[in-house]
Amino acid sequence: MIRYHPDARFLTDYAAGSLPTSQALCVATHLHYCASCRVKIRDLTELGAELFSRQPAAAVEGAEFDRLMQRIDSQPAAAEGSATIRPINVVSILPRAVHKLTNGNLNELRWRRIGRNVRLSRLNVGDRQRETSLLFIKAGGSVPEHKHKGDEITVILRGSFSDREDKYAVGDFIVRTRRETHRPVASQDQDCLCLTTLDEPIEMSNWLLRLGLSVINRFSWPQAQHQAY
Amino acid sequence: MNPSRNRTMEFDVDQLDGAGASDVRSGHWVDCLSRVAIQRDRTAFREVFDHFAPMVKSFAYKVPSLEQPDQFAEDLLQETMLKVWTKAASFDPKLASPSTWIFTIARNMRIDLLRKQARHVVNMVSMHAEDEDGEVDLEDIWFEDENSDVFNVLAQQRSRRQIHDSLKTLPPEQAYVLEKVYMEDKSHSEVAAELSLPLGTVKSRVRLALSKLKLIVDR
Ligand SMILES: [Zn+2]
Repeated sequence: MIRYHPDARFLTDYAAGSLPTSQALCVATHLHYCASCRVKIRDLTELGAELFSRQPAAAVEGAEFDRLMQRIDSQPAAAEGSATIRPINVVSILPRAVHKLTNGNLNELRWRRIGRNVRLSRLNVGDRQRETSLLFIKAGGSVPEHKHKGDEITVILRGSFSDREDKYAVGDFIVRTRRETHRPVASQDQDCLCLTTLDEPIEMSNWLLRLGLSVINRFSWPQAQHQAY
Repeated sequence: MNPSRNRTMEFDVDQLDGAGASDVRSGHWVDCLSRVAIQRDRTAFREVFDHFAPMVKSFAYKVPSLEQPDQFAEDLLQETMLKVWTKAASFDPKLASPSTWIFTIARNMRIDLLRKQARHVVNMVSMHAEDEDGEVDLEDIWFEDENSDVFNVLAQQRSRRQIHDSLKTLPPEQAYVLEKVYMEDKSHSEVAAELSLPLGTVKSRVRLALSKLKLIVDR
């Protein structure tokens, strides 16, 4: 049962398209699990469409239509029309975007080790302002206590964890703002997998450095990463 | 259908006030889109283009501090309408009204173009190309065709009418903030920074607006 939902701010920015990609990924992931937020998004999208329709009309020249038709005519016919067929992966238990980002295979990801029970794998969401990762906490394990410089969003994909305030389950959308301290502990009976995105990734890196981050994958990190750590 | 809805169908509200009434002629655009999808009907497509292209362009111009606004508007129009043409077959009138469908396409294309632009700028500065491999597809985050369990056109029309009727009752500062968030591609935080307001103030203005529009109320 989902008890933590994105607030109106996140939902509105998502529907409007102004939410940064990594945070939008978190909202989309929550929507995968939450029908009541899907209804809200439907209505908020409707608001967007209404505002869109009310705009004063900008001038459009006939030549622009002609240009478009030329483009359409020069396209190979095969590229057209088949848009309805989209391979949707019904096998995956992961939300669509997470599945795509990981190729549905968590074992193939590069996992970094944080302490004994926690693994972290960065995802490329095309958002340089934030660091987005999958976080794996072994049953009963805990993420070392940390403070955030920026805001952190976490969505649980599997298992559950708790902190001082509450216990969270699959689909929950948990926001921790800057200055809040917390120490998530995975439940004893099941490993926990989360999607998490954090503002100000450099601070995150420093935080990892203080924890004595060890890199367990055999790939070398890009240049910029070396400097950051 | 309730009687008031039937009555408005008799004349073209678009021509009367031009204000968000495109859903009233929804049936006509559904018809055009299906002719585009099935017969690749160019006359029907031209009609859709003529009606929606000016909105798409305005929507492009709303993005603040573009380096080349005309180029951006032209690109957004081309990309959006190309998609309308190629994806017309996937438009399902049971799930969405044409104006909602086209809005989501324009919104997604705008995010996409802005993202490409930003990447271009970054690449120019850092002198090496960003690794695009494995980067998430925009459509996997901002769905155009999922969540069909809750997307039905009757519910949409109901909320659309509600929105249409109550938008004009919003206090200016609330309408202003909504306009910024939806049309100017600014997140709550960016609006707050621009207006030098605390984030909480922006949030509460939006929340008040939404509850006036009977859209969502936070738990
Ligand atoms: Zn929810």
